[in-house]
Amino acid sequence: MKYLFAFAGSFFAVVLAASVMPYVKVLGVAPDLVLIFAACWAMIRGQREAMVVVPVAGLLRDLTTSDPVGTSVLALSPIVLLAVVRELRPLESDFLPALAVVATASLAYAVISMTVLTAAGEDVPWGTALLQVALPSMLVNSLFAVIVYPPMRWLSPRPKVESFGVGSAVRL
Amino acid sequence: MRLLWWTLAVVSVSLTSIILSENRTLDPLQNLSLTITAPLENGLRDLAEPVSDFFQGLFNRGDLVRENERLRQELERLRAQAAATEDTERRLQDLEEALGVKKGQPDSEFVIADVIAQDPSGFKRALAINRGSKDGLDEGMVVLSKSGSLVGTVSLVYDEFSWLRLVSDPSSAVNIAVLTGDEQGSEPRGVATGDLRIGLSLELLPTGAQIAEGDLVTTSGLGGNYPSALLLGSVKSVEEKPQALSKRATLEPAADLSSLDTVLIIINFRPARLSGP
Repeated sequence: MKYLFAFAGSFFAVVLAASVMPYVKVLGVAPDLVLIFAACWAMIRGQREAMVVVPVAGLLRDLTTSDPVGTSVLALSPIVLLAVVRELRPLESDFLPALAVVATASLAYAVISMTVLTAAGEDVPWGTALLQVALPSMLVNSLFAVIVYPPMRWLSPRPKVESFGVGSAVRL
Repeated sequence: MRLLWWTLAVVSVSLTSIILSENRTLDPLQNLSLTITAPLENGLRDLAEPVSDFFQGLFNRGDLVRENERLRQELERLRAQAAATEDTERRLQDLEEALGVKKGQPDSEFVIADVIAQDPSGFKRALAINRGSKDGLDEGMVVLSKSGSLVGTVSLVYDEFSWLRLVSDPSSAVNIAVLTGDEQGSEPRGVATGDLRIGLSLELLPTGAQIAEGDLVTTSGLGGNYPSALLLGSVKSVEEKPQALSKRATLEPAADLSSLDTVLIIINFRPARLSGP
């Protein structure tokens, strides 16, 4: 069931990204809802689920863009690696690490996409693209993650407490 | 260990998909996905206009933005008329004097298409339309706005859908002529290239060319990839560098490339890159 929700969420994000989001430009870039959704899911639900959700979201996105199929799957995959931050728990709160993961994933997405497009023969102006698209995307995606993360966190099922007392385990 | 296997699998599958996609093997899949998402995206694009007004209207009222848009379209139409008339007169004179008049040149044939989606990638300027190879479209065909100015070319064609590459895309380069309006009737030639930052820039213009803000820019027809005398826009600013080998300028596109909803594809003009030997 959870993967059905993930599929529906990804699909909705993909459709919005190609229709509405180009109108919502901040600092000259449109927020990447698919990336934000996948990164928030990874930070809320963990690396194991991200291994399924991230490729699905990437594939759905690939099918509705003019990029070669596989570009987004590859470019979103660092999210799964970055989700290790959730297990490391550098801070008491999950919120700030989630924003950091969104920002880092945005930069990784940009660099991988540009590499694939360059390899595919597209003319990618790296300097301009990094300065005018990739860096603003880090900020804009993080800002929109502030809106997307809390409701996703709230909708996510509460952790199940398996046992109590010393050595109690919490399974998400 | 599981993460390592997952990474290897994702990278392998992705790279294979990219290669298959470049070979056009996955076109039916992409056509199918656009068939499914097109109605949704089309509906949402209509709903998005108020959102667009809101974001544009943070500093301007929405009705002012709409009025501005209407006036801009009107201006674009009139400029296209003026540019076509001016250019046609000049070329007609040349033809009458040198080659004679070639009569009976057929009018352009168009396919009208609705824009259904924009490429969300920040590195491209591309639009999806609801016409494809079944409607006679082919890659490289020239695309105009509904007011008749050049907006781009067809870059990817599926059975029922296509992707357009806008003139503002970094991969786009159009041979242009600047209608300077001086008494000698000079038309400096150059290349209009897409730019992620400024939209469109004019390059390789002759250093001695007298170019001023507001001069109309049309396609020159050189190279054979675009018909001549299609309006592209007007000169926005000119970069003066005495030591430069060529002059540069920025261009204000005649059509508002960010809010295209209907486009016209010329299907009876065969670009040089499609004609072949």
